[in-house]
Amino acid sequence: MFERLVEEAPLFFNYHNLVFIAQAMGRTLGMTVIGCSVGFFFGLLIAVLRQSSMTALMPLRAVAIAYVETFRRIPFLIILFIVLFVIEPLMPGTSLFGIATVSVCLLSTAFLSEIIRSGLESVPQQQMEGARTLNFSALQMLFMVVLPQSWKVIVPPATAFVVMFIKDTSLASQLGVIELTFAGKMLVNRGFSPVLGFGVILFCYFALSYPLSRLSAYLEKRLASS
Amino acid sequence: MDYTFQFTEVLKELPYLLGGAGVTLLIAFVSFWAGAIIGLFGAVAKVYGGKMVRNIASGYVIFFTNTPALVQIFLLYYALPDVGILLGPLTAVLIGLILNSGAYLTEILRAGVISVRRSEIEAAATLGMSGMQVLRYVMLPHIAKTIYAPLSNFFVWLVLGSSLAALFGVEELTGRAINISTANLRSIETFTIVAAIYVVLTVLASTSLALVGRWAFRVRAKVF
Repeated sequence: MFERLVEEAPLFFNYHNLVFIAQAMGRTLGMTVIGCSVGFFFGLLIAVLRQSSMTALMPLRAVAIAYVETFRRIPFLIILFIVLFVIEPLMPGTSLFGIATVSVCLLSTAFLSEIIRSGLESVPQQQMEGARTLNFSALQMLFMVVLPQSWKVIVPPATAFVVMFIKDTSLASQLGVIELTFAGKMLVNRGFSPVLGFGVILFCYFALSYPLSRLSAYLEKRLASS
Repeated sequence: MDYTFQFTEVLKELPYLLGGAGVTLLIAFVSFWAGAIIGLFGAVAKVYGGKMVRNIASGYVIFFTNTPALVQIFLLYYALPDVGILLGPLTAVLIGLILNSGAYLTEILRAGVISVRRSEIEAAATLGMSGMQVLRYVMLPHIAKTIYAPLSNFFVWLVLGSSLAALFGVEELTGRAINISTANLRSIETFTIVAAIYVVLTVLASTSLALVGRWAFRVRAKVF
């Protein structure tokens, strides 16, 4: 096995393969970043919606709760398949990357809304009452009182969550999106040794997620002490 | 767009799918308990071990929590034959998931072990409690309270994560769903029903775990 690695290494690490892997890495990162940003936005909306107590918003709240609770309990692979088979006939010609990104958005919205909600709930009730007494509007209260205080509860688990998503996007290889895992499969199919091909891919994933998980651990320590 | 949903085609196959759900639960169960054993050793190594042992344990955790389980199993499945070890699909998936859950459970259990304050153990010893009594009445309640919620969340995560076994041809819930949908070509219906089965499965799992936790450890774990 070892001789084979030494023999193949110079062939493997040529310019074209490296560019190919870098592009694949970009797609993995793209899916994660777009998916988690969109997920954060909608997650925030859902979390705020669930905090509100207006009776008019009752049905919307019920839908939001149902959405969050179901999507957190469906495997990413199944969501990918459903999104694929729903979008394909409705909008033919959507790229596979787009389909995978939509699935990431759907799932990350559900997970991030839970993280954000626990952050919002960590702000003591008296703060809200105080803000109301000072005649803050609902939006002012959210942006000037609640959010600044809940960041330190939200940010560390949210970062850890992004790490989880970098790893989950590997399932998108099953659709045929040329991200890291699929790139690894292609290289192995081209005849390179699986140890080399998948080993390099594992290293790429590690390079993406390790800094982030360190950041998450650092933020947790740093924000907890302040 | 005129598409008529036909769920009857899929509902006919419900017993077959539920059998697959059994396999899913089995995979999750085996990887959870085997992972818990690894995790226990890992946690003890990280808290009480010497420098060398600590480094090995953290290296293991860092590697497995920062790389996708799917690629790890690819490596096991396609690379080990190079050194003469041929694994069946189910074995490869199980080994991969066990090593993964071992890493995550190390972290969860470690949090439990360090949640017990030294002074409490000393106080218990002063009161004349034996080692087993300290473990049972002082350490275990703290550990259970800290780790119970993350543990049951992790079990749910394993149930969902085990769906990747389908990509290696293991016929668990997702695998059987793929089989059915390629035969009846009712993909949306099939996967919607399978998604519903997963929801029911995980709700049942977390409800029963919450009940057990309340009964055995007096932990108030939330289901939703």
